[in-house]
Order: sequence, then C-alpha cells, then structure tokens
Amino acid sequence: MAENTDVQAKATDLLSQFEQILQSDPLIDEIGFVHPSQFVKLNEELGSSKSASSEITGNENSEFWLQHHKLGISTQILHPLYIAARNTFMAATRKYRSSCNQDDQTMAGNSLCGLSNSLNIVESDVMKHSRALLLLSCDFGTAWNSRKFILSKKQNLSLYLDELLLSKLVLSFFPKSEQAWSHRRWVIKLLVEKGYSVEEILKKESELVERIAEMSKMNYRAWNHRRWLVSYMSREQALYELNETRKWAALHVADNCCFHYRRRLMLKILAESSCAEINSGLTLGIYQVWKEELDWDEMLIKRYIGREALWIHRRFLSVCWMRHFATDNKIFNQEGGIKLDIPFFIENELNLVNSCSFLSNEDFEDFQTQATCSGAYLLWLIKNCPNLKVDDKLRTYNLNTLLKKVCPERYPLWDSLIDSIESSD
Amino acid sequence: MGELATEKHVQYILSVEKKKDDFQSVVMEHLRMNGAYWGLTALDILGKLDTVDADEVVSWVMSCQHESGGFSGNVGHDPHILYTLSAVQVLALFDKLDVLDVDKVTNYVVGLQNEDGSFSGDIWGEVDSRFSYIAILCLSLLHQLDKINVEKAVNFVVSCKNMDGGFGCTPGGESHSGQIFCCVGALALTGSLHHVDKDLLGWWLCERQVKSGGLNGRPEKLPDVCYSWWVLSSLIMIDRVHWISKEKLIKFILDCQDTENGGISDRPDDAVDVYHTYFGIAGLSLLEYPSLKPIDPAYALPVDVVNRIRLGKRHAI
Ligand SMILES: [Zn+2]
Repeated sequence: MAENTDVQAKATDLLSQFEQILQSDPLIDEIGFVHPSQFVKLNEELGSSKSASSEITGNENSEFWLQHHKLGISTQILHPLYIAARNTFMAATRKYRSSCNQDDQTMAGNSLCGLSNSLNIVESDVMKHSRALLLLSCDFGTAWNSRKFILSKKQNLSLYLDELLLSKLVLSFFPKSEQAWSHRRWVIKLLVEKGYSVEEILKKESELVERIAEMSKMNYRAWNHRRWLVSYMSREQALYELNETRKWAALHVADNCCFHYRRRLMLKILAESSCAEINSGLTLGIYQVWKEELDWDEMLIKRYIGREALWIHRRFLSVCWMRHFATDNKIFNQEGGIKLDIPFFIENELNLVNSCSFLSNEDFEDFQTQATCSGAYLLWLIKNCPNLKVDDKLRTYNLNTLLKKVCPERYPLWDSLIDSIESSD
Repeated sequence: MGELATEKHVQYILSVEKKKDDFQSVVMEHLRMNGAYWGLTALDILGKLDTVDADEVVSWVMSCQHESGGFSGNVGHDPHILYTLSAVQVLALFDKLDVLDVDKVTNYVVGLQNEDGSFSGDIWGEVDSRFSYIAILCLSLLHQLDKINVEKAVNFVVSCKNMDGGFGCTPGGESHSGQIFCCVGALALTGSLHHVDKDLLGWWLCERQVKSGGLNGRPEKLPDVCYSWWVLSSLIMIDRVHWISKEKLIKFILDCQDTENGGISDRPDDAVDVYHTYFGIAGLSLLEYPSLKPIDPAYALPVDVVNRIRLGKRHAI
C-alpha cells in the first residue's frame, strides 16, 4: 500500500512538473516522446547547453528536456504521467460539471452567485489538465469536449486563437489526430462567426497543412482540412492557392491528397466562373486554367515514370475538359489560341499514351506501372466520355492487348470493362 | 502458404483486454468500446465467443451509457455515435439487445441527424459520412430505421460521391476506402445501391490491390490488412469481387500474422494490434477461408447474428 502511494505521489509530481513547463514556455511548438538516452544526444547536437529542463526540474536525470521551444518527454515516464494526467483531468471535469449545475441553480434562484469565483478556478483547472492530457493522448475526445464546453461560453477571440495553438502543437507530433483537426474546424467556425479575417485563417491554415504534409505524407485528415476551407474561398483566393501549391505538388508527385486538393480548387473556380465569367465573355480564364493544368500534368507524367496520382489527376482533368469545354467544331479561342476541338484533344492524348506504354525494359517496375496507368487512362476516357465517338483511331488502338500484357493480374477487370464498352457501341 | 493460427489469435485477443501495464495499452482506453467490438467479433468469427463472460461484458457496456441514450468509449467518458454503434453491436453478438431501452438509444441517434440529412458524431457537430453509416446501421439493428429521414440521409451520402466513383468524408472529400465502405454500406442497408456506379467504383477499388496481393486505402499508399475489410466488403456489396485476386489477398493477410504470439499486423513483420487482428480475420471470413463463421459485409457482424436479428423483427411483427 505504502509503495502504491509513493508511486502515485511521484506521478502527481511528474504531472505538476509537466504543467509547469507548459506554463513557463507558452511558445513550445514541438513535442516528442524521447528515450532518455536521446537527451544526451539532443544536448550534444545543440552544442554547449546543459539539460535545460534541469533549471525547472532541478533534476539531474531529467524526465523532460526543453530547448528552443522544443519539449522532449522521456518515454520512461509516459505511463505514470498519463495515468496522473487522466485521473486529474477526469476529477476536475467532474467537479466543473457539478459546479456548473450548482451555479445554474444559484442563478435561477436569483441570489448573488458566490460560486462563480470557485467556478473560475475549476474552469482553469480543466483547461490546464485537459491540455496536459491531450499532449499525451491526442484523441481523448472527452478532454477536447471539455474545452469546447468552456469556450462556447466565452466571447474572447484570443482564447479561440490559443486553441488553434494547442491543436497545432498536438498536430506537430500526432499529425493524423482526427480530434485535433476536428477541434480546429470547430474553433475556425466560431472565429469566422465572430468576424475574424477569413483571409488570415486561410493563410495560416495553408501554411500549417503544408508543414504537416511535409513530415506526414499523404495525410488524409490534413489535406481534408485544407480542402474544407475551399468553401470559404473566393474565386481569386482559389486561383491563388492553385498557383501556390503547384510547386509543392511537383515535388510530391505521389501525394494524391495534394492533387485532390487542386481538383477541388479547380471545381471551385469552374463553379464560380460558369455564370459570371462565361456570360461576360471572359471565358479565357477557366480554359487557360484547365489547359495549363493538363500541360503541366503531362510534363510531370513524362518526368516521373509510373506515378499513379498523376494519371488519376489526368483522368479528372480530361473528363472535365470533355464535359465542359470540348466541342465537335474546330473553334479556336481567339485570345488564348487554345484549341477546343475533340479530335485535336484525342490526338494529343493518344500520343501521350503511346509514348508511355512502350516497354523498353520489362524489368523496370516503374515503366510497367506507367504502361498500365496509360492504358487504364485511355480506357477511362472512353468509358466516361459519351461524347467521345470511338472513332477508327481508338478502335484500332489495341487496348485489350496492351492492358493484358502490362497488367495481366487485372484481366477480369479489363475483360469486363472492354466488354461493356463494346456492347454499348 | 501458412495457415490461420486460430488458437494463438484467440489467446492474443483475450490477453489484450487484460494488459494495462504500459503506456501503449492504456493510452487507447478512450475507445475501449470499439476495441471490445473488434475483439469480440473476431472471437465470434473464430467460433470462440464462449471464452468470455457475457454478463461481465454486458454490464460493462451498459455502464457506458449516458442519460442522452448514447454510449461512451469507456466509463466516465463522453458519448459519441462511434461508440454507440459498437455497444449495440457487442450486445447483438451476445443476443442481449433486449437489455437496451430501444427508444432511448434511438432518440440519441435520431437527434444527431442534421437538416441536410447528414449526421453529426456527437453534440459538437462534426459531420462525416461514416456517421451516416453508423446511424443507419445502429437503427437497422434496433428495427428503428423509419425514425429518421432516410431519403435525406441517402441524399447526403450520395452527395459525397466523387467523379472517380468513390466516396469521401463530406461532399468534395477525397475518395478513401474506409469512407467508401461506410457510404456503400449505408446505401446497401437502405436499399439504395442503384446510386452507385458499380463499374466505376469497382474499378477504383480493384486498383487498390498491389503486387503483394494486399489492398491499400488510396492511390500510392502501402497495402494494409484493415483495407482487406473496407475494400473487400465494398466489392462484395456491389458484386465486383471477382475483379481482384482472392488467393493473393489471403496469402497477404496470412503473412501478417504473428504465428508465435498471435495477432495480425497491418503489414508483414509489423507489430500486431487488435484492430488489424479483427480486420484480418473478418477479411478472411469474407474470402470464405475454411472453418470461419461467415460475416455480413454491410452489418459487419457474423451472418448468424444478423439473421437472428432479422428473424426477431419478423416475430415482433
Ligand atoms: Zn490499417
């Protein structure tokens, strides 16, 4: 029993150390769980400095390491620290909820509420302990909820901005935390409601997602967050984002999330263009956007062999092109000189497929993937563009042979698809 | 090819529940209800549900119910639709749905439907097509589907469909196998599969099979055992499962077993967990691996459990 109390006391002590560190440096922007042996290495990397946390903890074999706003927590103490954080938080939130009820009753009784002061104390306890807990267990929903509950009663913009910082900190080492992203959206909705600058939010969120996407590849939640913000954008902002993310996408050609984000931006631009722009005769813009993306994607396809995400992007671009822009007639857009006729478009796509389906060396997996993707792309076009007349050129193109040669493992798929196309002719 | 190490997996699943001595095992305690569903359903498919004390599980599940009717992931945590479904599924496994106050649970789920037909996960309002599936399945298990606006619910799910035939978490969200499973499941349970372009979606799903035979969740991702379930069940529901190689997928899943200590991991030689153990076993069941109970792809419960519930409805009428 005595030993048990000792362990508990030690854990409680760890928690207050942890919370003290968090309070002492509100600018902490990175946290990690580190084996204690790494602390020495971290110190060496940073040169002369001693274990900075010893200033706070006064402890030689430190459990925490703090330097340049980076906090390391020893993996040795995670278990007791977590248990203490959880128990302390749960007790605080229980107390808070019951005092809220009491407070409500007092208010209803119209007597002066002497409880409010104690409520404030419990409230700040909940905020303090939930923060510590979430940095250890990022998807502890009840802890995020307790913060939302408190915030929803406040009108203070700076408190909301603090929440963005906390969520950002959590995401710095749990980049896939669903709850942290969801909390962010909840806060942003409130900020927008209260009139905070959308432009400012868009800028900050784009930066954050890009930074996180850099360390956590193909992060669905991160890109979904950025994609969610598209609905807040104007056409100009969407165009700006499209330009801004081009470079990043070109450096991460396997990241389908980023390309999906571009697709949403393009659809946003298309939707915003269709009425205003086309009516006013300013059709050039949207054609240009599409044409540039098609050309850029083609360039990437030729440079980076066998990248599925680039071909999926092309499927989207081409189907939209056929549905929204292409015509049977040979019309030239006077200003941009963009050719819109279907035969010209098909000719170009066939040339691309031809150049990509040529297998020089079957041992290279990337080339085989490239050939499969190109054949599947052509099949996709035929299947999804009813206005694309399967003319002689396409008919003689022996897609069946190509696909079964480069990707025999999917022959049931190719068989069914080609059958269904032929029977619908 | 190795065989399924049934006995080892049973031992592993039973041991996970008892393990509380390290950070990794306690830090997942907020979703213990999901864990219970994964572990217990896996045991049932393996034919070993009788190794656990049903009364003990049922009373723990009920201790997670709130005044609102919703269930939390563990005692003392906040309720969420995710855990509410798991709770109902666990009770269904043990044929103990009768301990529920059906109206109370129904009211909780019904209260989460939004004007546009979508569902929030809890009172804080996050919307996701997964929650639509969960709400629809939960109410189907309770024979209360008529309590929500099904037409609007279906329309919302359909609005999450992309040009590639797949579905995302909200309208405009990137296609993702997990989301696709939920959307296709929701449409299957409401008899609305005609909204799915089966060739197009089947094509997208079929492209998830990589050289090793495993399935990934999205383009360019590594294969992962849990997608054996998400992708495979979707392919079965839209009748396109013959487009992938079942043999290679079985081999991939079996290669992800820890044959010494039990459990299945996301990829060969990674650390096992109960989540991937369940999805591996459920995937093998869908692939008609010998001596496993068949599982229903839309209900995500053993077929005999689903039949019992359906039969219950007939009796009730
Ligand atoms: Zn997985």
